[in-house]
Amino acid sequence: MKLFVGTVLLAALSFGSGAFAQTAPTTLTIGVRSETSSLDPHWTQFPQDKQVEDHIFERLVAMDPNSRPIPALATSWKPINDNTWEFQLRRDVKWHDGKPFTADDVVFTFDRLRAGIAGAPASPAFVLANGNKQIKKVDDHTVHIQTTGPFPTMPEELAFFSIVAAHRAQGVTPSVDFNNGRATIGTGPYRFAEFRPGERVVVERNPDYWGAKPEWDRVVFRPITQDATRLAALMNGDVDIIDYPPTPDLPRLRQQNSGYSVSEIASDRVIYIQFSYRDLEPFVKNLDGSPATVNPLRDVRVRKAMSLAINRDAIRDRIMGGASLPTGNIVPPGFFGYAEQLKPDPFSADEARKLLQQAGFEKGFKITLHGPNNRYINDQAIIEAIAQMWTRVGIQTEVNTMPRNIFFTDVIRGDPMTIPGFDVGKFSVWLSGWGTASGEAVYTVRGLLESFNPEAGSGNANWGRYTNARVDSLSRKARVTLDPAARLPLLVQATEIGLRDYALVPIHFQVNNWAFKATLNHRPRVNERTYAWDVTKR
Amino acid sequence: MSAAAGTSVDIEERPFRQFVRDFTRSPGAVVALVVLTGVLAAAALAPVLSPQNPYDLTQIDILDNLQKPGSESMSGMKFLLGSDGQGRDILSAILYGLRTSLIVGAASVFIALAIGVFVGLVSAYRGGWVDTVIMRIVDLQLSLPPILIALVLLVLLGGGVDKIILALVIVQWSFFARTVRGLALVENNREYMDAARGLRLGGLRVLFSHLLPNCLPTLIVIATVQVASAISLEATLSFLGLGLPPTEPSLGLLIANGFRYMMSGNYWVSVFPGIALLVTIMSINVLGDRLRDVLNPRMAR
Repeated sequence: MKLFVGTVLLAALSFGSGAFAQTAPTTLTIGVRSETSSLDPHWTQFPQDKQVEDHIFERLVAMDPNSRPIPALATSWKPINDNTWEFQLRRDVKWHDGKPFTADDVVFTFDRLRAGIAGAPASPAFVLANGNKQIKKVDDHTVHIQTTGPFPTMPEELAFFSIVAAHRAQGVTPSVDFNNGRATIGTGPYRFAEFRPGERVVVERNPDYWGAKPEWDRVVFRPITQDATRLAALMNGDVDIIDYPPTPDLPRLRQQNSGYSVSEIASDRVIYIQFSYRDLEPFVKNLDGSPATVNPLRDVRVRKAMSLAINRDAIRDRIMGGASLPTGNIVPPGFFGYAEQLKPDPFSADEARKLLQQAGFEKGFKITLHGPNNRYINDQAIIEAIAQMWTRVGIQTEVNTMPRNIFFTDVIRGDPMTIPGFDVGKFSVWLSGWGTASGEAVYTVRGLLESFNPEAGSGNANWGRYTNARVDSLSRKARVTLDPAARLPLLVQATEIGLRDYALVPIHFQVNNWAFKATLNHRPRVNERTYAWDVTKR
Repeated sequence: MSAAAGTSVDIEERPFRQFVRDFTRSPGAVVALVVLTGVLAAAALAPVLSPQNPYDLTQIDILDNLQKPGSESMSGMKFLLGSDGQGRDILSAILYGLRTSLIVGAASVFIALAIGVFVGLVSAYRGGWVDTVIMRIVDLQLSLPPILIALVLLVLLGGGVDKIILALVIVQWSFFARTVRGLALVENNREYMDAARGLRLGGLRVLFSHLLPNCLPTLIVIATVQVASAISLEATLSFLGLGLPPTEPSLGLLIANGFRYMMSGNYWVSVFPGIALLVTIMSINVLGDRLRDVLNPRMAR
């Protein structure tokens, strides 16, 4: 009887709230792992900033959930000769203040990026340097982008930065005037409402949006950095959906009657071990603790042994809650340039010991494995587990993990172009991650495997300074080959040569998960971004 | 009245026995002492008592991770309190973690005390501009939260037990210096100090054989309580992911690592180290409180 009354009450209550929801504005509250640092779309490349900015600002080219380029402010594009791409711009698009969007805004955006954003920690301006992109206005809705040579990945690269309004962003203070709303006038489905750093960002529906009308009237991004706290916020109803639910809780959330749902998609982000290739390494030592007089990491047999010693399946099952895809690749399956021949190394401690013996390190050596402890899913736990596995084959591994800002500042040292004076890298072996953000392999092969060369924009994440002339020539050729059929084998070959040489050791692709109320639906994205239009009522 | 007089006679004749008698009058303090002795013994004997060396990476296996209390590892070892996310035996990790926490706490307090006492005594004894300069430095440091200073130091210095001790010494010395100076200023005006000065004894001798011993009771109390706060500060730093390497977890790091498993029901990873930390800090604090009551003559009456 009691149960029956309760059920009736519940039903009445839910009817009541349903009726209420039809009249009141609908709000979607998103609990995010990382706080937004700026709403200036040219200030950083951080996904936590981009995903909010993408609600307000739009790019010429957007990306579908599988990171393939789709029309946004540009309706179509094609190369008209070896050095020029033509982009047709969307007509009848209005900025949030009612002014029309034209080619002048695109030209202004290029000029703003090229002039450099003073103080920006990670501006997308580097995209313009690749191929020395120059823009030319043809008419109000046509632009030409010229490069020094053929540039096949133009559409993908133009998905890296948003277009800002020339009449609002002229002469404003970078970042500041975007955070207070003065220059935060975009063309996107949502308009800027409020930004309180560390607390929340609020955007409101743009009724004049040119595209599909978004479902939610108001969207609130709330940063909750602790994983367990973020999940608790979902469970007590403070937020409707969270990114990066803690992996130990996934099985429980996935259950039918949990009241929550989990969305899942393979990420474009590979987690890998990277090596430093100097003659001597500060964190490689002999067993007695004295500094090593050679760098064993320069021996491919040692690097292969380190890969074979890693039990990727154990990491998936014991640490990632089953949510990872062990890999021997750096470009995710399904992306243009995926090298399907590359398989994850099968775990074999015996093989690893044999290889170390062949390389003359049968007694092993000592190393320190560095890495971040709050950047990637379960990063510290993975690092500790790898330390176990390496120690077991004779490579005595110490672990040093640190918060992401400290780690990346130290690991990126060695790039005198971006950080003057920091021309010596700090670590010898470390764990890092790389997302194929452009959706195709040029971006990743150039960033991770090509030799470091800031002028050419290559090797920008090759922090260990790996060099392989064959990889370089194949990758450089791919970068100027317009014909996809000819470009594909070049990329695949470059990847295969680099990874068979163990330039770096891939562990797994992350799996992106979101947890949300069971009354909602969510369409997951490979690039980890959370968009309000991906969330719908069931 | 006569009882009080008798007590004061006793203090002069058999100070230690009187101290013990006063101390044991509080059952709570006795329990705390017993518990703390147990904790210290367990920490000292960790290599003997632990079923596993949790810092030896060849002895732990990821395939043994998150086992419930009482279950067995693949090699047949019993996880009395369960295992953590890396397959470490929680009991062994607590015993070894206690060692780290106690060593870090005691060593940092001892060094900070030594520095603070010296600086504080000199400051009080010399007075003038020396006093002014030292105390302004102390003021400056005390105006900043210790956790903030420690965080910045660890970011600059990097991790490791030695670095953590150094950071804790730097945040604590000023506290001791300020206290010692205050005590010494009071003592400085007593008759025995006039007498010492009248005998034309050297500065150092007056400082250390006359001034210091009379400040000692209060210092012992403060140092004891400060050990507890140093341990919890170290736990906080480890919880924030700075300081000790994750493969050699202190109690704070164990708690932090277990925190992420709390919601999914693997309570033991966090709860047992948490209890160990709580018991240690509480027993030190109770002990410190009792020492204050006993050693402070004003409180005794």
